Amino acid sequence: MRRATRKYLPLAQAGVHAVLQYRATLLLQAVTAATATALHVFLWRAVYAEASRPPDIPLNSLTTYLVLAQVLALLHANRVDEMVAGEVYRGTIAVALLRPANYALTCLVANLPAAIIAAALAGGPVLSLFAVLTPLDRPTVPNLLLFTVAATLSVLLAFEVNFLVGLATFVTTNSWGIRMIKNGVVAFLAGQVVPLGLLPAGIAQVVRLLPFQGLIDGPLRLLLGTYRDAAGAAAILGVQAIWVLVLLGLSVLAWRGARRRIEVIGG
Amino acid sequence: MIAVVRRYLRLTVLLCGVSMHRLTAYRMDFAVGVASFVIRVGGQIALIGLVYRYVDDLAGWGYHQALFLLGFSLLSRALDRLFTDQLWILAWQLVRSGEFHRYLIRPVNPLYLLLSERFMYPEGIGELALGLAITLASAGALDLHLDVAQWLLFVPMVVCGAVIHASIKTLIASCSFWSVSSLPVLSAVHQLGEFGSYPLGLYHPALQAVLTWVLPFAFTAYIPARYLLFGAVDGLIWLLPVTAVAAAVAYGVFRIGVNRYEMTGS
Repeated sequence: MRRATRKYLPLAQAGVHAVLQYRATLLLQAVTAATATALHVFLWRAVYAEASRPPDIPLNSLTTYLVLAQVLALLHANRVDEMVAGEVYRGTIAVALLRPANYALTCLVANLPAAIIAAALAGGPVLSLFAVLTPLDRPTVPNLLLFTVAATLSVLLAFEVNFLVGLATFVTTNSWGIRMIKNGVVAFLAGQVVPLGLLPAGIAQVVRLLPFQGLIDGPLRLLLGTYRDAAGAAAILGVQAIWVLVLLGLSVLAWRGARRRIEVIGG
Repeated sequence: MIAVVRRYLRLTVLLCGVSMHRLTAYRMDFAVGVASFVIRVGGQIALIGLVYRYVDDLAGWGYHQALFLLGFSLLSRALDRLFTDQLWILAWQLVRSGEFHRYLIRPVNPLYLLLSERFMYPEGIGELALGLAITLASAGALDLHLDVAQWLLFVPMVVCGAVIHASIKTLIASCSFWSVSSLPVLSAVHQLGEFGSYPLGLYHPALQAVLTWVLPFAFTAYIPARYLLFGAVDGLIWLLPVTAVAAAVAYGVFRIGVNRYEMTGS
């Protein structure tokens, strides 16, 4: 354990230092998240004001969902896909094979603490800003605890999804385009574009079986208490946990396959 | 003067041709680029569709009118993206890496040379096709009939919108001459441009003012679409002055930045 800490801790520290060094990036992450949130909040407030039969979720809950969806998205904005894709593209991935460290674990510790710090520093102010500007729901303590568990699982999910997308560079060299597609698909299926509860019931049911809802929609349903009963809450966490394990298995398989495919130009 | 214009037009046609060859060579890139836009715009359409399940009318705009606005906003964005995508690279790394000097040693305007490196960017073609499809489909559903003036102004309004987009991008990208990289600012401002795809009346008046007079995204879609759908000309008379001022400011800042640029020693 101590050896592992000694091996991986510096990587985590380096990642966090990089975040703290590029403060302008943090500020602009916050500005971007705040504008996206504002757009959605304005849009749905207008809907509630003008609709004869507004959605059956209270406006304050929906606003809380919209704001926290963007904050959670910051938490998931680890740069693992970019990092892995870049190493595959340049061929420096060969060096990773020589290091006496697990590659996936290296990516994890290099990116996750950094993403968490960035999310706290950029997302915290966004959350406070909207808490001042618009009324938000105050969650109950049990729901807050459930949310904490789900948010932790969501960070792992986000890592696995991005790791797999990064490895896809072995098959296609256009990693930028693939990442753009991933960003669009994930944002929609996670609930960042539209709260999944507002989708037509049939579609929502299907989307909620996919791994991506565990990134945003699942944790926020737990936080806002929009699940039916204890079993409903357990089901949300269960689906998340199953996907964390499935994607872990897929990542291991993909990495094995990728190692067999590696071809690096000598030089 | 005429000779200069003719020379640049000839160059543009030639360079667009070169880019088209690249597209046919890397067909997968093209497909991936187009697909990424279809998915993103699909999300926006889904959002509009969902919103209008609850209301018939939002800030005075119906469902098909909102779609028309979205489609029109894609047209000017697409035209901008087709010709100015290299500005992202300027904002990102051309100054940091010192590569920018490449654009200063050829007998063509540096800004033109910079942009020409990525003419006919594949995402732009996808966006343009998608924008046209959405605009035409929603115009058909609205049974929209344009009068002669509206037909004549349609393309110029898209062009002005594209010039405004390009000017804002040039201005922010030129900041990299001072700050080395301005990519985060550029993506934040680009994100702000998404507000332009929805009716402006939804937003707080302060935000409306910013989107009209500070970062004039309102002129790239909302004001032209309002003219085409409702015949409102009050904002439209400012379109040309705003475009001219935006372009002049952006080009001026770019020139000052270039004069300030120093190559890396390596």
